[in-house]
Amino acid sequence: MRAQPLSSLLVAALLLAILLDTAAQLLWKWAVAGLPDAADPWLLLRAVVGQPLFLIVAALFLLQLFNWLKVLDHADLSFAQPITSLSYVTVTGLSMLLFDEPLGLLKMAGILCILVGVWIISQGQPLTLPGTPESPP
Amino acid sequence: MNESLLGIALVTVCSAIEGFAQVCLKKSVLTALRRSFWLRVAIAFFVVEAVLYTGALHLLDVGTAYSVGALSFVAVALFSQGLLKEQVDGRRWLGLGLILAGCALVASQG
Repeated sequence: MRAQPLSSLLVAALLLAILLDTAAQLLWKWAVAGLPDAADPWLLLRAVVGQPLFLIVAALFLLQLFNWLKVLDHADLSFAQPITSLSYVTVTGLSMLLFDEPLGLLKMAGILCILVGVWIISQGQPLTLPGTPESPP
Repeated sequence: MNESLLGIALVTVCSAIEGFAQVCLKKSVLTALRRSFWLRVAIAFFVVEAVLYTGALHLLDVGTAYSVGALSFVAVALFSQGLLKEQVDGRRWLGLGLILAGCALVASQG
């Protein structure tokens, strides 16, 4: 339950969540772009192991996990999720700037649909009541 | 099958894996017994997903791959309805339908 007003700590954690998601995706793409164009899975595996960017991506995901648990400590999932889905906009926008990826009308309309869909889901009630004791099987 | 179709297929499989792994995570919270079993299963699926997503990023723009990955919302709903017996009401289906349509639009541009 979100009992407290929006604290600056929560705002910072939500911004950090968007930032980490975006950075992880862009770095992942950058790392993959640097892989050799080989079909041999063994060669590819060695290239992945030798590419420190993949380690940084893994570290970002770990950091994101801790940050996300922090967010959920202070906010409802249904409040936090639509806000962090803004990362669809930041990832697509920055990939356009950094990797010259095309952004057409269809893609923009699609991302808008996804954002509206996430928002609609977040307006509903979480059907599983919090604090309901679960009986062990 | 051309590269971008294969990439979209890979992201779709990743989303299904993500949905299943999330259900395993939820199971690890729900059950008093075999907690670490479900946690390990979830982590194993996340690792497989990461490998496949790396392949997808090789074939697709990251903007496309990440957006189509929103299919995981739909996968989570289907798996949690089927395996956890959670209810998915009309409003949630409407939102999921919009996400599905959005993914299709992004994918159609490639």
